[in-house]
This record gives sequence, structure tokens and C-alpha cells, in this order.
Amino acid sequence: MQEIFNIFIKSIFIDNMVFAYFLGMCSYLAVSKTVNTSVGLGFAVVFVLGITVPVDYLLNEYVLKEGAMVWLGPEFADVDLSFLSFILFIAIIASMVQLVEMIVEKFSPALYASLGIFLPLIAVNCAILGGSLFMQERDYQSVAEATSFGLGSGVGWFLAIVGIAAIREKIRYSNVPPALRGLGITFIITGLMGIAFMSFLGIKL
Amino acid sequence: MKVLRNFLDKQKPHFEKGGKFEKLHAMFDSAETLFFVPNTVTAPKGAHIRDAIDMKRTMIVVVVSLFPALLFGTWNIGYQHFLSLGQSPDFWAMLGYGALKVIPLLIVSYGVGLGLEILFAQIRGHEVNEGFFVSAMLIPLIVPPDVPLWQLALAVAFAVVFGKEVFGGTGMNIVNPALLARAFLFFAYPADMSGDKVWIAEKLDSFSGATPLGDALVGNFDNTPSFYDMFMGFIPGSIGETSTLMILIGGLLLLVTGIANWRVMFTVFAGGWIMGLLFNLWGANDYMNIPAWQHLIMGGFAFGAVFMATDPVTATQTTKGMYYYGFLIGMIAVLIRVFNPAYPEGMMLAILLMNVFAPLIDHYVIESNIKKRLKRLKVAVRS
Repeated sequence: MQEIFNIFIKSIFIDNMVFAYFLGMCSYLAVSKTVNTSVGLGFAVVFVLGITVPVDYLLNEYVLKEGAMVWLGPEFADVDLSFLSFILFIAIIASMVQLVEMIVEKFSPALYASLGIFLPLIAVNCAILGGSLFMQERDYQSVAEATSFGLGSGVGWFLAIVGIAAIREKIRYSNVPPALRGLGITFIITGLMGIAFMSFLGIKL
Repeated sequence: MKVLRNFLDKQKPHFEKGGKFEKLHAMFDSAETLFFVPNTVTAPKGAHIRDAIDMKRTMIVVVVSLFPALLFGTWNIGYQHFLSLGQSPDFWAMLGYGALKVIPLLIVSYGVGLGLEILFAQIRGHEVNEGFFVSAMLIPLIVPPDVPLWQLALAVAFAVVFGKEVFGGTGMNIVNPALLARAFLFFAYPADMSGDKVWIAEKLDSFSGATPLGDALVGNFDNTPSFYDMFMGFIPGSIGETSTLMILIGGLLLLVTGIANWRVMFTVFAGGWIMGLLFNLWGANDYMNIPAWQHLIMGGFAFGAVFMATDPVTATQTTKGMYYYGFLIGMIAVLIRVFNPAYPEGMMLAILLMNVFAPLIDHYVIESNIKKRLKRLKVAVRS
């Protein structure tokens, strides 16, 4: 239990997807213009990460890993399908994103319109695939750990995008040099936020 | 004064639009307003404006309130230096030695910062703001006395350009420029910014120069100074942060004049204290057993709470938001101290972190207020 909680906290603050690994930057930069849209996208990412990571974990554990298919019979003991992990992970992610898209379109058409192309593009959000690949690489011990890692990474990403959206709303009235307006200043803010998030770097849980 | 006024009036046309030195108007403007109160108050732009008092007066009050900490810090450098050598010369010798260390830092900080500020003011056509007088004063106070001057210059340049000018100058920055300068030094040159070597100027190698926090980090609680020493500030540390008493005198001035917001200041202390108490209850290791009140006078906690967290630009703007903001700073600062083995001090990073999330707190305070009022409106319409 302790371990699961630690993984959750760690993936929010210490191994933050945006500020520690700079993953998922495209939608992070593009959709963070207002807080309300970014909250919507943040929830979508939390949802997708929270489902795809455990599903991919099971897939990895029982199908892809070397010797994972041994439950089918002893003759599968040396089958190694890990070369298929990218394509299968992406397939899972894409279907989950499709699901989210249908849910959002049905229940919140306004949010659906404001997210636009970036909602289906969650499928190629590097944070999502990154989540599954980190899960594979870090070798989590149980589905519960993988779930808490997925949810934690999602919450960390959520926090990052909502934080920067609030800052961008605030600096709308600032006299930013014309050449830096828009993306330029957003990159600089991201860097400053990264410095602030370094406060958690080095905490051992 | 009259002579000066006449001289300035005579020169003025050259610097106005169409004049010979039109491009240098920002420099002239800053020199003129240094001597005379201008007819116009601060341009009505920026999130920091709350009152008719203009920026120059506000910032000067802050600089004045920093003086007790600065003077004490200057003396303390000398005191610690001679203490480590085993000598005890008179008061003036200590002050003189400290001044030799502090004045170059101040010159570099003001020189580089104001130079860049004036450059940006010229190019972008805004006025040279006094905001930097405060930042340039704060930066030397939060670095170790022996920090190499070129590193300081680099940090100041980074803080002014990327912390402030890219956002459009004073009043529009997201994070506190002084803290950004310190964070830059801390991450770029950790060897010169932490450990037990840097806090006493030119000490003998045999003398332990660790700050109380540095000692606590490595589990050495035996030579923790007494409450009196830490409160008065007779301990090694950054120049301005050691004496809680002097900081409180400055803080009192800020509170009386209404420049700093008491809500932020008190909630930071409250947050740190409560977090300290919680850790005392937990008490899993020696570090958690540090008494809660001791957290408030160790390291940069008091300095950050009084001068950094209350920065009106980067703090939350809403009244309710200030309580959350201050409380979280105090809590996170103590949390980082206790939990993070990488950094002995958490105050700088706690404030930077909350600076980043301050707009979000404001956003939700405002949203909830809008919702509350809408509800009230609906009730009123129905009845």
C-alpha cells in the first residue's frame, strides 16, 4: 500500500511528465491558452493514462514479455513478442482516445469544440505512450502499481497544463516583446516552471 | 535644489520626442525623478498597483526596511570570519571587513541589473522602474558572502532578462527575480552555493562553517546553536538571512506602511509552524524532531516570509488567495527541508513553486466568487 502511494506522489511531483521529462509538450503548449479548456484536456489525459497504463501492463505481462505466454503451455516459454509492444500500445491508446472523444462529444459539446483537433491528437501525445513505455522499463510489480503510476503521471500533467494556463491568462495583459508573444514566452514560462519543480528533485520515496 | 531644477529643465527638451537625445529619454527620466517628485504618477499599468502611492516611494520603503538586515549581515560576515580565525577585533574592524565583501556584491548587482534594465527601457520605450532597486538589494542578501562576482553578474543578468524583461518589465513578471537569480546560481554552480565551505568568508579549513540547516541535513545535531544565537543571527549563512530580529524589524516597517501584506507574511509563518508540529508528532527521524519554532528562525525562512513571499507582483492578487498562498509556502518549505536530502533549504524553491501556481489560485478564488454571486443573484431574482 505504502509503495503504491509513493509511486503516485512520485509520478506527480518528482518524475513529472512535463517538467522532468518534457513529454507531451505539443498539446501542453497548444491548448494551454485558457484554464477551462486545459482542465478539460487535463482530465482527458488523466483518464487515458489511467486506463492505458494498466491495460498495457497486463498486455506486457501476459503476452509480450519474454516467456509471458507460458500460461498457454510450456511450449511458449521462449516466445518473445516485445518487438510488438510499440504497435500494440499505440493501438490500445488510440482506442481509448476514441472512447474519450465519443464521451466528450456526447456530454460536453462546448469542450469538444474548443479542444478541436487536439482531442484526437491525445493518441499521439508522447506523455501517453511515454507512460506505457516507462511502465515497461521500470518494471512495476502489480497492476495496482501500474495504475497508480498512470494516474499519477496524468495528474502531474494536469497540474502542469492548468498551472501554465493560469499564467498565460495572467500575462495576457503583459507587455511581452512582439517577437516572443505566443509560443516563445510559453517556452520561457515552461522553463521557469521547470526550475520551480526542481524543488522536488532528489526526494527519495 | 533650484540650480538643479533649472539645469534639468534646460536639458529636458533634448530628451523629449524629436530632441537630440530622444533615444536616451529613459535615462534622463530616471535621473530626473530621482531628484524630484514627478507630476505624473506611475503609468497605470501592471498588476502591482493598489494605491495612489507611486512606485518610487513603495520601493524605497522596501529598500529601507532591508537596511537592518543588510547592516547586521555586513557585521556578521566580519564576526564569523574573525571567529573562525580565533580573533576578536573591535566592532569597526568586523564591519569594515564585511563591507569589503558586501559592497562589491552590491555594485555588481546594481550595475549589471540597472544596465540591462536601462537597455531594455531604451529599446522598448518603457520607463526605468524602481522595482529593480529592490531586487538588486535582495540578491546580494541571499547569496553566500564569497560568491564569485562573475557568477553573480551572470545570475543577475539571467534573472532580469528571463525573469522580468521578457514579460514586459516591472509588475508583469511571474516569478520573483531575486529568487530566480538565486535559483540560477544554486543549480548552475552548486559548489559555490551550498555545503559547509562557502558561508564564512576566508575561513580556516579546520573550522566547521556549516549553517545549522546544513548540519541538520547530515544528521549532526550536536552543535545546533542556541535559540538566542539563531534569533539574533550570530550564525553562518547568506548575508541577510541570519538575523531573524533584524528581518522582523524590517518586516514591521513593511507592515506599518502597508507595503507588504500581513496575510501572506503571517500565513507563511503559520504554515511552516504547523508543518513543523506535524513532523514533530510523526517524529520518524532526528530531522523531523527539530522543534517547530526552530524551523522559523533557521536558514532563510524568516527572510523569505517577510521579503520574498510578500512581493506584491508574484504573490496571489486576491485576498482569499493570499491565505492559501502563504500557508502553502510555509508548508512546502518545511516539507522540502525535511524530506529532500538534496537541498538543506526549502524556502527559495517553495516560494518559486507557489509563484508559479499563484495565478491558478487566483483563478479559482475568482471563479468561486463569481459562482457565489450568481447564486445570490438567482435567489434574489426568485424571491
